[in-house]
Amino acid sequence: MESLNALFSLGFATALTPANLLWALLGCTLGTAIGVLPGVGPAVTVALLLPVTQSVDPTGALIMLAGVYYGAMFGGSTTSILLNTPGEAGSIVSALEGNKMAKAGRAGPALSTAAIGSFVAGSIATVLLTLLAPVIAGFALQLGPVETFALMMLTFAAVSAVLGNSPLKGFIALLLGLSMGLIGIESQSGQSRFTFGLMPLIDGIDIVVVAMGLFAIGETLYTATYENKISGRIESLKGSFWMSKDDWKRSWKPWLRGTAIGFPFGTLPAGGTEMPTFLSYSAERKLANPETQKQFGKGAIEGVAGPEAANNAAVTGTLVPLLTLGIPTSATAAIMLSAFQQYNIVPGPLLFDTNPELVWGLIASLYIGNVMLLVLNLPLVGLWVQFLKVPRPLLYGGIVVLATMGAYALRQSWFDLMLLYIIGVLGFMMRRFDFPVVPLVVGLIVGPMAEKHFRRAMSIHQGDLTVFLTHPISLAILVVTAAILIVPPLMKRRQKMLQA
Amino acid sequence: MIKRVSGEQWLAFGIILLGLFMAWQLQDIPNDAGYAGIGPRFFPSLVVTGLIVAGGALLMQRRHSNGPDTILSDGENDAAEVEAEDEFARGDADWRMFAIASGSLIAHMALIGLVGFTLAGTLLCFGICRALDTRRPTLDLVLSFALALGLFHLFKTLGLNLPALIPGGVL
Repeated sequence: MESLNALFSLGFATALTPANLLWALLGCTLGTAIGVLPGVGPAVTVALLLPVTQSVDPTGALIMLAGVYYGAMFGGSTTSILLNTPGEAGSIVSALEGNKMAKAGRAGPALSTAAIGSFVAGSIATVLLTLLAPVIAGFALQLGPVETFALMMLTFAAVSAVLGNSPLKGFIALLLGLSMGLIGIESQSGQSRFTFGLMPLIDGIDIVVVAMGLFAIGETLYTATYENKISGRIESLKGSFWMSKDDWKRSWKPWLRGTAIGFPFGTLPAGGTEMPTFLSYSAERKLANPETQKQFGKGAIEGVAGPEAANNAAVTGTLVPLLTLGIPTSATAAIMLSAFQQYNIVPGPLLFDTNPELVWGLIASLYIGNVMLLVLNLPLVGLWVQFLKVPRPLLYGGIVVLATMGAYALRQSWFDLMLLYIIGVLGFMMRRFDFPVVPLVVGLIVGPMAEKHFRRAMSIHQGDLTVFLTHPISLAILVVTAAILIVPPLMKRRQKMLQA
Repeated sequence: MIKRVSGEQWLAFGIILLGLFMAWQLQDIPNDAGYAGIGPRFFPSLVVTGLIVAGGALLMQRRHSNGPDTILSDGENDAAEVEAEDEFARGDADWRMFAIASGSLIAHMALIGLVGFTLAGTLLCFGICRALDTRRPTLDLVLSFALALGLFHLFKTLGLNLPALIPGGVL
């Protein structure tokens, strides 16, 4: 109840000021636009906005960035449904049934069930966030550097081994991120590491350059090299736009089930939106009655409603570990964390005590943002469809110009442009050989934090490495970490032996 | 298929080399035992070891999957099938386009200080359009210029000064 009190007295009071409402609206609009545009994701947008937001007050800036994160998930479904090219990983599944519905002239109901489902899931997940966050933050206050380090190991293991199809490639991506995070002055001893005597490297590699390089430059190089021949066809918005009574009847349960699947996945360190959306899709497919089951693969509304809800609930879920533990579990969350750091604000359990207006204002803005996004996406969907008509070459040209500008603006130096290109080529190769990029981004941001906690733990416990195993909470976390690493390969081997 | 395997093996070599290079660079980090024997060299050593081991594992795994017993496939498909599907989804590489995109980025890097943001940005945007196989180059050139000029002035008003052709100029 205390949290509801704080939400209404502090949160809405902060979020409803005209300035913050405007930031939320700006974030949601921008988010929807980039969600709709194929090839641009929330991670790159948030990164691009980081330098711009430096002069804005932290609450307003974070409200806007959260709006972008959220809005991109709403907008992503439009592209999946109408163009069959998912803009975000979380929208891949919606393309399966959604695009079929659009082809059958039911684009309207598909877009509606996606938008309303996102709204329902986002709102429920925000209520859960409101109630859960202070409880978890209270618990997290008891965690010392030993436990925090163990928790970060769990995050590393989960993002590398669980996401993507090859744990080894996930680990290599993580190690590359950790290596990049090592470059620069080490915070505790003041020693410079891996700077090769180059002055610009002393401050380390900026997250803006990494995100732009991986997501904008790498993606463009990949598209130019491999995807010039592929062309999409935009389905037109014809027929009734609104959902029929039957559509409502078939959608509300998948919305709720999707929320129930998505939210916990978001809060786990193995976050990300791919898995919950796929799970929701297969759940809907299994639960459907025989009549509906036949429609799956041909445009079943359940297959859009469930995954879209799961997607939004998962995104809201990732804010739980970000705000209460200071641990990001997705690429966008990692970049949001560096937005906090930009203002010298450390997300984590203390945030609720030190910056209550900010954190409650941010949570309250999610409720408001959800309503804004419903309005932006339902009646105004025709406007966003126009975005899909921007020719692809020009779209990518614009993205690259913005990315180079973002990197150049950091220090007005061509050195950052060179780093941007090198990281872009790395991103291209990772895409080419199916390496996931999320572990790299998480490694880059969380790596230096993990080292700090590790060394703090060691200095408290006189260099005794066994503390990680003698502290019960840390031991439990490390056991789970080990299980994540060991169990899946064992199960695979068992399956193989059974088949043989 | 052979091409792809060798590509990934090269990548594995690259990762091992990166690890070795970093190991060599480790010596430059002074290790005056910080707190309790854990100095600034400890964590990098772990990462370096990880890179070398993981690079080695990638190399082994690939070689392994050439044989009949595949690790990467999920047990049902055999490697060739997975490979074929992948290649189908990806299409053939068009390295000329990669070169155009890369060249545009490098030219932009070299030129931005000389000819200013607007002209370098126009060239970059147009170059990327070419790399993405545009069908209407003239229009794209005009639009690239408009975009770069617009951004230049937008950010000038916002207080972010990008380099101009002539200091204080309109381009």
